[in-house]
Amino acid sequence: MNQAKVKVAKAKTKKVLNVLITYCILIVVAFIFFFPCLWLILASFSKSGSIYSFDGFFPVEYGFDSFKTLFTDTVMYNYPQWFLNTLFIASMSCILGTILTILTAYCMSRFRFKSRKAMMKTTLVLGMFPSFMGTIAVYLIMTQFNLINQHWGLILIYSAQAPMGYMVQKGFFDTIPYSIDEAARIDGASNFTVFVKFTLPMAKPMLVYTALTAFTWPWSDFILPKMLLVDRDLYTVAVGLMSLGETEFARFAAGSIFIAIPIIVLYFCLVKYMINGMAAGAVKE
Amino acid sequence: MANLSLKHIYKVYPNGAKAVNDFNMQIEDKEFIVFVGPSGCGKSTTLRMIAGLEEITAGELKIGDMVVNGMEPKDRDIAMVFQNYALYPHMTIFENIAFGLRMRKIPDIKRDKAGNPVLDKNGKEIPVMRHYNKQELTAKVTEAAEILGITEYLKRKPKEMSGGQRQRVALGRAIVRRPKVMLLDEPLSNLDAKLRTQMRSEIVKLHKKLQTTFIYVTHDQVEAMTMGTRIVVMKDGFVKQIDTPKNLYRYPANKFVAGFIGTPQMNFFQGTLTKDGDSVHIAFKRSDAKVTVPYSMLMKTMPQYLDGTKTVYIGFRAEDIALEEDKVAASNAKIKVRISHSEELGTETLVYGDINMDGDGFDETSTRVIIKSAGFKEYQSDTVCEAALNIEGIHLFDIDTEESIMPRLPEYNYADCKVSAGKLAILGQSIALPSAVNCSDGEYDLLLPTDAVTFDGDIPAEITSTEDINGKLLITLSVNGKKLFAVTDCSADGEKISVADGKIKIGIDMKKIIIRKNSEDVISPMPLVNGLNGTFVMEKLPEMTVVNGKEKKVKKAHYYLLIDGTKLEAPAEVYNKLFAATSDRKAFNSAYRYEWTPYDFAVSGDGIRAQVEETLDYGAEKFVRCTVGEEVIYVKTDKRLSGTVHLVPDVSKVSIIESERQIRIL
Repeated sequence: MNQAKVKVAKAKTKKVLNVLITYCILIVVAFIFFFPCLWLILASFSKSGSIYSFDGFFPVEYGFDSFKTLFTDTVMYNYPQWFLNTLFIASMSCILGTILTILTAYCMSRFRFKSRKAMMKTTLVLGMFPSFMGTIAVYLIMTQFNLINQHWGLILIYSAQAPMGYMVQKGFFDTIPYSIDEAARIDGASNFTVFVKFTLPMAKPMLVYTALTAFTWPWSDFILPKMLLVDRDLYTVAVGLMSLGETEFARFAAGSIFIAIPIIVLYFCLVKYMINGMAAGAVKE
Repeated sequence: MANLSLKHIYKVYPNGAKAVNDFNMQIEDKEFIVFVGPSGCGKSTTLRMIAGLEEITAGELKIGDMVVNGMEPKDRDIAMVFQNYALYPHMTIFENIAFGLRMRKIPDIKRDKAGNPVLDKNGKEIPVMRHYNKQELTAKVTEAAEILGITEYLKRKPKEMSGGQRQRVALGRAIVRRPKVMLLDEPLSNLDAKLRTQMRSEIVKLHKKLQTTFIYVTHDQVEAMTMGTRIVVMKDGFVKQIDTPKNLYRYPANKFVAGFIGTPQMNFFQGTLTKDGDSVHIAFKRSDAKVTVPYSMLMKTMPQYLDGTKTVYIGFRAEDIALEEDKVAASNAKIKVRISHSEELGTETLVYGDINMDGDGFDETSTRVIIKSAGFKEYQSDTVCEAALNIEGIHLFDIDTEESIMPRLPEYNYADCKVSAGKLAILGQSIALPSAVNCSDGEYDLLLPTDAVTFDGDIPAEITSTEDINGKLLITLSVNGKKLFAVTDCSADGEKISVADGKIKIGIDMKKIIIRKNSEDVISPMPLVNGLNGTFVMEKLPEMTVVNGKEKKVKKAHYYLLIDGTKLEAPAEVYNKLFAATSDRKAFNSAYRYEWTPYDFAVSGDGIRAQVEETLDYGAEKFVRCTVGEEVIYVKTDKRLSGTVHLVPDVSKVSIIESERQIRIL
């Protein structure tokens, strides 16, 4: 009897210890991840603005000045304009890129044509090279098309490159049973009807994921806009912030924090679609 | 509401694998056809080719009177039920069922907003195509839902339903359009056993109600036997047998069908057959068992298996072996069985044993035996008892080909014959041999094909019985007290024979007989198929045609069969099928074998050059044997021919085989 009690007590302390250690590790990890973010937020509230006036690691005085100047002082650094530019480029690339990616993935998943395997392999290999490898070539092509210093030039590049990462979407389409397509075709649907009425509604989570990735890349990209955009008023946020003066660090931090907001909002709006798989109940698993 | 015709259907994958081989079948209206076979046998592929989901490599598929080979599935007016239901998950049940209707248009006349017909200038109604309206849709969907008992679920989504209900929805989706043909691809294999039995009878009920042609694919022979009006048994892409469930069970054409149909599986033993006067001794291998049965029970057995040297498979169904004492006492064919164990199934008991006294009765060996016995009877393990064989239920198969050696439609009559002075003595008759059958005097074995017996000769015979077997009439004749089988098409000679009042005069088609000595052919039958190798070519020739009232020179493509340097123009029906079977351009790069019967050739001034070798005179008909290059062909002719002749075959009667893939195209 007594022995059993001792055993139970021992098991209890062991459990508590386990939980304690787990939490400690989690806190440390969370701190490591969260600290740079926290530091950036603190830096954005720095009153002096320059990184050189920090007391060691942290700012000395805090205030909202940097946020205020970010939106009011638009003569040299037109942050609101940059923000709108980025929003325009990212939204357009998101729409076009998503359409192209989904179509590519659907095509690769559902149709069997000559050189399909070869194309799949080629895109996979090409996708392994970092995108900035081709920047010079892209620049030359864009000059030929007279698309330098234009937002549409960027949008075209982003949209055209998005389908290179079609593999994830293809994998998803592969899981939608062929028999649904076949049943629809027998019912009288054309390939296009099958795609629009059956595949797309069932692929909602994938659509959301694709749109999010297609949005975030142009939103935070630096190299391409830096190379293709010349006028200060056409800058995206990333390029614009980079052009800030050395003493404007607080403003830089404030700008960086501010561009994170749309992504966060977008994510929270769309997250519920990503979680629910739609294909439940279609076929017997 | 349509019949189907499948002619020489092949499915060959790009890697050369043949999924379906030369599938031929006529499916009548309102039939319930079941394709059955182990997985990978090509049954689903065939069904999907009918549906249009899979391309047909070669062959001709007709639904109703229309060739549908290249047609889209939606235009074939078929419906299909899938194994995994394939419901549209994001749609309600109503929408699932209604979708097929929404996609279709129906003929109507033009109406104004009030619904009154709009007339054209001449006061006639204007025909238009329109979609179903809401009331029509609701009515049709509700009707289908009522038939299947799913009316209360119409607002639900598929994931809120159980497996059986989902399959009902899938059926509803198929029947709502009232298709010409219903295709069902293993629709019940995802359901549990009880539901499966229930749905099985519901599908049969549905078939009765809809009066539509059903084609049903399953791997479950019980489903096949209980549902089909006819069953197609397939294996490795080949059709093994097509027949009614009853005939499949009673007359399996090969060992595969015999073993596949029926539970428990048929018992297969190995043994030899020895004919001894009017009785046949059956000796079982790896066992001491021996039985002797009267020859009259094994009449149809091919005689080359009756000399005791060839091992054959001997099959008995479990119910054709009895352990009951009264049956054993009454039987003349008894074997000893050592019982190993038994399975009590309620109404019956399956007794496992071995006819080899050292066998254990568990492994599937050539001596293991399963016996169906009455229910609740207990059998002691390891006891040896006598079992009675029902010889009427014997099935015999060749050990290598596994084909039945006592086919329902025997191919040959076997008889001893004597040739002397150009006369053939058989069946107590002496028949003059035509000069083409050139045989020295002596005693021989005669193989008389059952279709070589004609009904216009002068040998008196008596009809003992006739049997209609799948459109062929098997006539058992008695000539001078000897039994003779004759086979003829029911339609051709059927009437003539039935009115003959038992007495009839028969003749023998001498070009079909085989005369053998010591298992070597002395006289071979004249081949009825002449094969010639060749290619297919196109030539564009200028032609004058009238375009817009003016004469114009245009180039028109002509297609030719090229054989031994001779071009034979192909009519449209021939080259269209060639193109369909070879995916267009490959048609010109492939080698073919063109086949004609000896009756399809005409002798003409130009044509294929042939060297006449020999004239064969069969009395009523004369043929010449010629050589074309290295090929030998036979040609029917009335003239006396010699030397070099030019032959023109009738291109419209050609049958074509693509040499590389061995596909019969025509």
